[in-house]
Amino acid sequence: MSSTDQSPQTSDLPATPQTPTNGDTNSTTHFGYKTIEKEDKISMVAGVFHSVAKQYDVMNDLMSFGIHRLWKRFTIDASGVRPGNKVLDLAGGTGDLTAKFSQLVGRDGKVVLADINSSMLNVGRDKLRDKGLVQNIDYVQANAEYLPFEENTFDIVTIAFGLRNVTDKDKALRSIYSVLKPGGRLLVLEFSKPENELLTKAYDFYSFNILPKMGELVAKDGESYQYLAESIRMHPDQETLKDMMENAGFEQTSFKNLTGGVVALHKGYKF
Amino acid sequence: MQNINNLALAKVNTQKATQKRAQLSADLLLPQVTTATLELMINKVLALNNNNAISFTTLEQKTLMLVLTELPFTLCFTVNTSANKTVVIVRSECEFNDCTINTSINTLNKLKAAQSLTQLIKQDELDVIGDIKIAQQFATIAQSLDIDWKTELAKHLGDIPAHKLLHFGNKVTKSIVATGKQFEADLAEYVVHEKRLVVTSSQINAFNQNTKDLVSQVDALSTRIDKLIAELAKITNK
Repeated sequence: MSSTDQSPQTSDLPATPQTPTNGDTNSTTHFGYKTIEKEDKISMVAGVFHSVAKQYDVMNDLMSFGIHRLWKRFTIDASGVRPGNKVLDLAGGTGDLTAKFSQLVGRDGKVVLADINSSMLNVGRDKLRDKGLVQNIDYVQANAEYLPFEENTFDIVTIAFGLRNVTDKDKALRSIYSVLKPGGRLLVLEFSKPENELLTKAYDFYSFNILPKMGELVAKDGESYQYLAESIRMHPDQETLKDMMENAGFEQTSFKNLTGGVVALHKGYKF
Repeated sequence: MQNINNLALAKVNTQKATQKRAQLSADLLLPQVTTATLELMINKVLALNNNNAISFTTLEQKTLMLVLTELPFTLCFTVNTSANKTVVIVRSECEFNDCTINTSINTLNKLKAAQSLTQLIKQDELDVIGDIKIAQQFATIAQSLDIDWKTELAKHLGDIPAHKLLHFGNKVTKSIVATGKQFEADLAEYVVHEKRLVVTSSQINAFNQNTKDLVSQVDALSTRIDKLIAELAKITNK
């Protein structure tokens, strides 16, 4: 699927750049609809998340009407986590998934909350400590493309609403594959392409007209939420991401559309 | 042969309907809504519990899976005590569990009414796979929870409104239970005695047909009498 297919239908929306779906050439990548040098993306994404970290949870609840909690629950349910498992919650942000995983793996298990952004990690650490979740959680500031863990370490790796912000998604998927144990699974929860045309139009209108205004009002940062909407449109669709996972080595890959495809949960195994 | 085909078709249709129901419920994230609500309620109730004798240590990290006939998804309850308080995590899927209970909501209510687990298993109302002790411990905890609702409500509403509200609640509950029992008794009476006396539709049809026949016979008789009267009148005139 080309990026043109993913472009929003509403006429007052900015046109999407004519780049490959995963947005990458050798030296450039995308930042929302802008084409930028690859080395600039990390700092630009970091800027967005430093800016929104403190209001991140409130904004998530507001923007998704609380449905993000159900999407995350769906991910936990699909993870097949059991006591004693080692889980890596990549781009774990404010630790919603980590909190649940921590309770499910128990004392014998371990959860690593990893995020490239120190502000998000700090907010997540404070939140989890306030909940009394301290025994089995480690915090690591890490880039998904170069995971600082030994091969075959984790039973489960999750990345929820984080992959679209990664500069080189293929490299990140290969890095995740490497740290997973044989038999381990990756779960990617990410915004995707709605299945229904009408829903797509409503979703586009909401994303480009309401979301940035909401960001301006609550987080005092409309631009970051404009980036959020654009980055969602530039993210690979369901089938493309599935192919990317297979190319990275994952087997038995599948995806499940949630809320009409606004979000999709991709699953793949390492054998 | 025809019956066998019909049965097979009915079975396929039921399976399709069940799959459709499960798909719709998954699309609407109904399992997640249900588990989130249950989790919130259970943990609120646990936080209000006054019975300190209850111990969750033996249930730490144990998972009980409940398969209810009325629900298109399962319910998994996992106990965690690591954060200095006991929480129960509810999920709609669990690949690994320590005990599975197959039953219905109605039977769960019976379990709450202090009927023993073994009794229900003997009556085939409940099927347990795995470690039965886990199921027994969950059931015992559910029965031993001691919550002072009046005190908890009074914290938010004040003493008198809390007392009035609970008094009213008890009255309504008693009235609902009594109505339910009366309805059950009436229904049983109807099924056992009155249903036998009720006229069936074929009997009504037969009665209607007999009435029609009778009407036509009366008409024919009436016509014949008229004719006879007319003939008698002729004879008398001659």
